Amino acid sequence: MNCLDYRRALLAGENETRAMKEHRLQCTACGCVFAEHAQFERELRRGFAVPVPPGLEHRLATAVTSSRRRFLAAAAIGVLAVGAGSYAWLRRPDPLALACIEFVLMEEAKSILKGSMPRAEAEQALAATVPLARLERIGDVRHVLPCPFNGQTAYHVIMEVPQGKVTLLVMPEGSAAGRAKREGLHASVVPLRTGSVGVIGADAAVVDSVAGALRSSRV
Amino acid sequence: MRFDDLVRIHAAELYRYAFWLTRESRQAEDVVQEALLRSWRAFPQLRDPAAAKAWLFSIVRNEFYRSIAKNGPPLENVDDLELADEGVSQPGLEMREALMRLPPSYAEPLTLQVLGGFSCAEIASMLGITEGAAMTRLTRARQALRRLVAGDTAKERRVGKP
Repeated sequence: MNCLDYRRALLAGENETRAMKEHRLQCTACGCVFAEHAQFERELRRGFAVPVPPGLEHRLATAVTSSRRRFLAAAAIGVLAVGAGSYAWLRRPDPLALACIEFVLMEEAKSILKGSMPRAEAEQALAATVPLARLERIGDVRHVLPCPFNGQTAYHVIMEVPQGKVTLLVMPEGSAAGRAKREGLHASVVPLRTGSVGVIGADAAVVDSVAGALRSSRV
Repeated sequence: MRFDDLVRIHAAELYRYAFWLTRESRQAEDVVQEALLRSWRAFPQLRDPAAAKAWLFSIVRNEFYRSIAKNGPPLENVDDLELADEGVSQPGLEMREALMRLPPSYAEPLTLQVLGGFSCAEIASMLGITEGAAMTRLTRARQALRRLVAGDTAKERRVGKP
């Protein structure tokens, strides 16, 4: 290494290599340059060492910790949102419940115009699925009539409960469950030990209430 | 290594690096804080713990340029210069004033070398320049500082004369 290379390397601030050290120890002039350079570097380090604001480390740690909490909370909300999305997907409008609403919209008036079946027949028709007496504990049964629905003979029941009117579609065959909402009507299909009942009404709370009562009085 | 340990070990040097980028203490602290929040989120991706320091310095640098793009260049704050002058001997003070006047293209590699202890190769990688360009900038930075400090000293001598 010559003097020029040595001084170039020194001025670039690189750490002294073995070759540089060997040259410095042999060259008095470069030895003097090194001493002056070392003094300059000490001043340079002092110049750069601006005081750190008091409590900086604590403030930074606190900021990171609080951000971490917010981040984890947001992540948890994200997980819940994904879960809720999946749940909503699973709970997308049930076709049978939608068919129940469709029945009320399209067929209920015709059924009412035909008139209710006699009580004795209604008792007998409903006995295997949900006894009439049990329905009467929930509300006043105003209308019962057989109707073709969902590939079977179901029973169209209109009930008056304290909160208002609800329609039931008593399905003796198949056990199903589901919910749907359309055209301002809510439907909940409740599985029974034998068959199912669709509860349809304008008020979701009333529908849930009647569906809950049917569920708790499963036969 | 835990992230909290990284913060504890490097907080002061990251702040000083940010100070010499922003030349303003409050903005420096904001830059470091934002950089640490970003680095915490990216921490699981850090595969080599030995590279943590260079990684943090790079994030501080990126955050500084992001803040400039968002808020414009930092304004010089007289109070900060006074704060930065506390407890510094006259030669150190002259050097600090000279550093304040050093163009960013020279000041930045020098800051990384002196404060961060990074080699020319590491500085070149962090700044996205060649190693030769990094060495040139470092050399010119020291030459410029020597001139600035020598100029100030000569000026003071002239002013001090009756």
